[in-house]
Amino acid sequence: HPIIKLINRSLIDLPTPSNISAWWNFGSLLGLTLLIQILTGFFLMMHFSSSDTLAFSSVSYTSREVWFGWLIRNLHTNGASLFFMFIFLHIGRGLYYTSYLHESTWNIGVIMLLLLMATAFMGYVLPWGQMSFWGATVITNLLSATPYVGSTVVPWIWGGPSVDNATLTRFTALHFLLPFALLASLITHLIFLHERGSFNPLGISPNADKIPFHPYFTMKDALGAALAASSLLILALYLPALLGDPENFTPANSMITPTHIKPEWYFLFAYAILRSIPNKLGGVLAMFSSILVLFLMPALHTAKQQPMSMRPMSQLLFWALTLDFLLLTWIGGQPVNPPYILIGQTASLFYFIIILILMPMAGLLENKMVEPTYVTPK
Amino acid sequence: MGPEFGRLAYVRHIITYSLSPFEQRPFAKYFSVGLPNLWRRFRGQVLRVGPLFMAGYALYLWAIEEEQRLKRKNPADYVNDE
Repeated sequence: HPIIKLINRSLIDLPTPSNISAWWNFGSLLGLTLLIQILTGFFLMMHFSSSDTLAFSSVSYTSREVWFGWLIRNLHTNGASLFFMFIFLHIGRGLYYTSYLHESTWNIGVIMLLLLMATAFMGYVLPWGQMSFWGATVITNLLSATPYVGSTVVPWIWGGPSVDNATLTRFTALHFLLPFALLASLITHLIFLHERGSFNPLGISPNADKIPFHPYFTMKDALGAALAASSLLILALYLPALLGDPENFTPANSMITPTHIKPEWYFLFAYAILRSIPNKLGGVLAMFSSILVLFLMPALHTAKQQPMSMRPMSQLLFWALTLDFLLLTWIGGQPVNPPYILIGQTASLFYFIIILILMPMAGLLENKMVEPTYVTPK
Repeated sequence: MGPEFGRLAYVRHIITYSLSPFEQRPFAKYFSVGLPNLWRRFRGQVLRVGPLFMAGYALYLWAIEEEQRLKRKNPADYVNDE
């Protein structure tokens, strides 16, 4: 039977390297989180009204009156945070173990990241709180920096002279649509992955030591899923507003600007890079480049040894990049005051220097270090 | 689609033996070998990760104090005010 054959070849008899570590769990966790978001989002959408006069109160009604509406909402908002945490760890695995050398899989992955960011951005606008409205205003205004067409494109996206009802309704539609584009990309991502099989931490061909996906990795992924579900429930049940902004408990008001407009935590690194450049277009280009640079990773790979497992200099640079990412996330949430300005600018610069210059250089140096010394034959 | 069992790799002159999972203790040496191995793996990585994050944390603490200091006026400048 064709469908059973497909399920068997992808999830049961799939030959999998025996040595893939916990870092390989995040792929299945991302799929699971997407499923949770689609399910909880679907139930939220049953009660949501996408009109600017009704949106905020419909979300409030869902949380207060709908049976377990509060739980569905908390799972959805914290599920989004979990989604980004997993995707950052998944990308980190990709950088450390050079999974980007599976180019097709990697490129679809980057497209999925962009789709996820767009979906999350639009989803945050829907409750129509202060931060929803002003975050949408700030970020959509950035597109006006585009030369020639900028000032025409922005009102076209808004559906009017400013972020208003028309913007909310189209963001609702797109927020519903894009997760299915994400699902289609996920299937394509897996098709390309299964063409060559998963990579592994050692960096050598695992074909001589592969084990079936079931039961080993179904069980391992089930453990990962249990841990992920526990973290999601801890957040949703005990600390639902931990990662959110208090401003979003206030309905949107175009006459009152919040003191500190900032996006959710998972966008703060990009926000920091955006603000680090004093020029509007420059900031926008730097912000988009910080994600699009991932497309260049295969071309920037210089080391002969594939993963970083046995390349200490590259490991150091990887952790420097991780620290830099964390610093940018912190800076993105801070007001634009000294010394945060200089730290943000330095961290933004280092982000690109590490990826574009230092890591390729480290790869080349490490190649030299493992070259055997020539021994003159007798 | 992709390599399947039976056509993964050709390995000649290698004979492997293994015990049935039903004939062995499931978590044999989990602590007696596992914990020293954890320590070995930690030692191998800590010098590449630890110093960087400690420096980052120090920068974080310094920056918070520095921002607070820059927001305050210097009392010595107003000592002789009436």
